[in-house]
Amino acid sequence: MQNNNDYVTHNCDHFDGHRYSHLNNRKYEDEADICIVGTGAAGGVLAYELSKAGFKVVAIEAGPFWNPQTDFASDELVAQSLAWQDTRLSTGENPLTFGHNNSGRGVGGGTVHFTGVFLRFHESDFKTKTLDGVGEDWPITYQDLEPYYNKIERDIAVSGPKHFPWGNFHGPYPYPERVPISANAQVFREGCEKLGIPSVVAPLAIISAPFDGRPPCINRGFCNQGCMPNSKFSTLVHHIPKAIDNGAEVLSDCMVTRINVDKQGKASGVTFVHDNKEYRQNAKLVILAAFAVETPRLLLHSACPQFPDGLANSSGLVGKYMMPHTGHDMYAKFDQEVRLYKGTPVLATSQEFYETDKSRGFARGYTLHAHGSRPVEMAQGLAKSAGIWGKDLYEIMRDYNYYGRITQVGEVLPDINNNLSLGQEIDEYGMPKPVVSFSYGENDRKLIDHGVKKANEILQAAGGKPAFTVPDTAHLLGGARMGKDPTQFVVNEFCRSHDISNLYICDASVFVTSGGGNPTETIMAIAARTAEHIVEQANTQQY
Amino acid sequence: MQDIRTRYPGYDILKEQKEWDPHTREIVLKRLGPFPKPKFLQENEVQMLKIIANHLVFDNRSQIMDWIIHHIDQSLTSNIGEGQRAPKAPPAKDLIRWGLQAIDKVATIKYKAVFLGLDEKQQFGILAALQNGKAEDVPEWAKVPQKELFKKLAAEIVSAYYSHPTVWSEIGYGGPAYPRGYVRVERWLTDPWEAKRDAKQ
Repeated sequence: MQNNNDYVTHNCDHFDGHRYSHLNNRKYEDEADICIVGTGAAGGVLAYELSKAGFKVVAIEAGPFWNPQTDFASDELVAQSLAWQDTRLSTGENPLTFGHNNSGRGVGGGTVHFTGVFLRFHESDFKTKTLDGVGEDWPITYQDLEPYYNKIERDIAVSGPKHFPWGNFHGPYPYPERVPISANAQVFREGCEKLGIPSVVAPLAIISAPFDGRPPCINRGFCNQGCMPNSKFSTLVHHIPKAIDNGAEVLSDCMVTRINVDKQGKASGVTFVHDNKEYRQNAKLVILAAFAVETPRLLLHSACPQFPDGLANSSGLVGKYMMPHTGHDMYAKFDQEVRLYKGTPVLATSQEFYETDKSRGFARGYTLHAHGSRPVEMAQGLAKSAGIWGKDLYEIMRDYNYYGRITQVGEVLPDINNNLSLGQEIDEYGMPKPVVSFSYGENDRKLIDHGVKKANEILQAAGGKPAFTVPDTAHLLGGARMGKDPTQFVVNEFCRSHDISNLYICDASVFVTSGGGNPTETIMAIAARTAEHIVEQANTQQY
Repeated sequence: MQDIRTRYPGYDILKEQKEWDPHTREIVLKRLGPFPKPKFLQENEVQMLKIIANHLVFDNRSQIMDWIIHHIDQSLTSNIGEGQRAPKAPPAKDLIRWGLQAIDKVATIKYKAVFLGLDEKQQFGILAALQNGKAEDVPEWAKVPQKELFKKLAAEIVSAYYSHPTVWSEIGYGGPAYPRGYVRVERWLTDPWEAKRDAKQ
């Protein structure tokens, strides 16, 4: 039997000013128009937009409905509970780290603990095959997403520079860029300037002035541990409360274990578990927005006689082409204190190495961020991933305040062998644990080497002595990629599954390529576009 | 040169606790003890883990070691998952229990004594071998991948150690910062309460 493993005991049913600690008064118990699985970056936007359009929306979340004031803390160790900690089996030559690295648990999902970096994809990201002969082309272009990028940035008042030098969008952002920036960001920008590398104050989903009842950032620096002043956007503090105001119902601490299909082969709703008990939520339309691991896992686990290989899987590509970003951390020691704990972790950025430059010997590129770090993250990274412990670790950490850090967020090319499958071990919900296999390809390794070298040059130009590199990754994308051909792709350009007309998949899983920067804004723009499409479709046809 | 433990002898982060939100304060103060008796770990395992922790974090202060043991015991008692695990490795509880047994076996074969009976150099040697997956070949390793064991021990011990307020004070970390935040974040600037190198004790 499954256990409720949450630290916090919370209400599980939320709608119209009601919060219940049981499921006996459900608003849409008979049937909802739309059931959304997951309330993260994509699920939050979908719940908000679709409830605003008048649909009866139920959003189901595996984790708790957090209260930032009482559940969050200024502490790295305790904040691990914000991450998806259920054990995922991780294999391949470069096994991925999950949890805090890429996935959240609880209303808001990963947006609760992301750094707030808010970047658009570039035009080239959507056609890497045509331009560079690598990866795959998307069925949509930058221009298709542009209005939704604009909308999302306005909706949450993204702060950023007046001029952003790379990609298609050059600013200005809705809110002014953050001032002041941290010492680590200053060091980064100074190093860049000496080398003639343009850099900017990072575009952030963190407000630089009051907005929507939320106060501007106080530079507490714990973005990855959950923002307590609510200055950083998350769907927990922005989209979900508004969706509830619009009439949506949110079920939290409810783990969806199956997508149900009727005799006609259409999705009829989902089965979920709350406090050891199984429930159903029927709906005319189901949208999976549960992250690049849980979404393909649910599709595969929902196999039934009509769909023996899992739902939406006639292509056999559910769980295939999974991509993290490279996330190597480069540390350098300075003569003066940098104090990596202070201020928003990412306050300066360069995308100078984002686009393909054939002279570098690899395709695609990456973003470099000045990236703060806290003692647990730094020491654990050194001990676990860089093999530094004992006296060496102690001596480095004694000078913790003297280190600066740059992180690479680099493109990883899609590879069919980087995949998710269902394992032999069964979890507490009776579902097979997911097995994710990941190995870097040759292009990825060259891209990493280039980024490590560049970051060290920047740190050196700023007066630092490059000290060590901690290999890491961030984010996870793919597993249900979008495209026109049903034999090669899982969903169409509007995130509707090719096989089941009332089943949508709308989250990081639909990414065709990873891009060379943080993906949250693109996930949200895709969700906004999908929501608009569903509204239009509903006017012309019955789901 | 004298080996000093801190660059910030005048800094005590606990003096700032009134500025912290109540939830964070409660969490941090609990790390000072006293701690309940371990629920999962047995006495011999506790002693072995303390010695391993001494090596990994280069410190042997008993108050901090007690917190590390409490943290490991809590995470092994909890049903919350471990984020990720190699398919060839057993769940954390077994990994650590069986792993400690394997370490003792290696010690016995190599030095004819249990791990706790070895001198520091011998203990260090076994841990260093473990990190590279090159410890003495004993049948116990079939169930316990050495590198996975080392990584798990390192992750648990190091994350607990660098969450202890005494260690925060020593490295000059600002620690909890809500609701206060920071006013002076730019280079060379510090808020009045932050750790200063030249502060008097």
